[in-house]
Amino acid sequence: MSGLNRLAGLKARPKDTTVAEVRMVDEVGEARGFVDRSPRKKPGRKPSPRTHQLHPKVFPSVGEAIAAEAERQGITQGQLIEMMWDSYRNRL
Amino acid sequence: MPVIVMASPKGGVGKSTCAVILASEFARIGADVTVLDCDPNKSLSRWASHGLPKGVKLLSDIGRAEIVPTIRAADGDGKIVIVDLEGVASQLVSRAISQADLVIVPMQPTALDAEIGSEALALVREEEEALGRTIRHAVILTKTSAAVKSRVQKELEIQLRGAGIDLIEPSLVARAAFSEIFAYGGDLTAMMRDPEMTTGGKVDKALQNAQKFTEAVYERLK
Repeated sequence: MSGLNRLAGLKARPKDTTVAEVRMVDEVGEARGFVDRSPRKKPGRKPSPRTHQLHPKVFPSVGEAIAAEAERQGITQGQLIEMMWDSYRNRL
Repeated sequence: MPVIVMASPKGGVGKSTCAVILASEFARIGADVTVLDCDPNKSLSRWASHGLPKGVKLLSDIGRAEIVPTIRAADGDGKIVIVDLEGVASQLVSRAISQADLVIVPMQPTALDAEIGSEALALVREEEEALGRTIRHAVILTKTSAAVKSRVQKELEIQLRGAGIDLIEPSLVARAAFSEIFAYGGDLTAMMRDPEMTTGGKVDKALQNAQKFTEAVYERLK
């Protein structure tokens, strides 16, 4: 078999498949055991979006001190750590 | 241009091999071929990872929701779409069949393959009835013996013809080159030219078989 001209002779029928036709095809398939076997989504709660919050591992006494100071200032521990980071950067 | 769908709810019957042969042979004569790899085993993607023949494009990870719009988007003037389906009974299969100009049901000449493959043939006929249009379909016997036609194959051919099922001839013979092409990528002609590619079989015979099979498919698409 050779030649592009031969390919010109190939035919395709129109495939104006509507949503209703797809549904009908699904029903015909299901009746014969051709069912939806798409992988199911992972069950359970989706992971929370990343907040980029820091989770420093510190000695318990330091952690308690940070928590107490944040509470005293009425800010989060993360905000306090940001302030500490600024202070550290300014000293360099 | 035509959409050719390889369908059988049974795995290992030769759907991917048929898809690779048709894609590479049609591309060799100048067709713009898009192959859709809908098989979770990703046989065609593995083949493509070693290099695609010129004129062949591969789309993978196509699920039930995407199959109809993907076939529509890939279809166009001068293009041939070949769909390699998963070897299970799924809605992905039934939806792809509805978009086909030719459904090819490969089966090995065994009673089990014939029994499970007949489910695909029955589904095509039921879809034809539901949609009110014909969907051309044919069986290709695969992994047949090069030397002799087994008794089971002879009986199966008689049964298929007796049931009015279109049987593509020649059958696809069990050739090492058909298996090895997935390890080397490209097409059989490249395999013949490259002495580094060792198949342990007769690549020229495999190519001859592939060309005759493609010619038989071409005749069904005219």
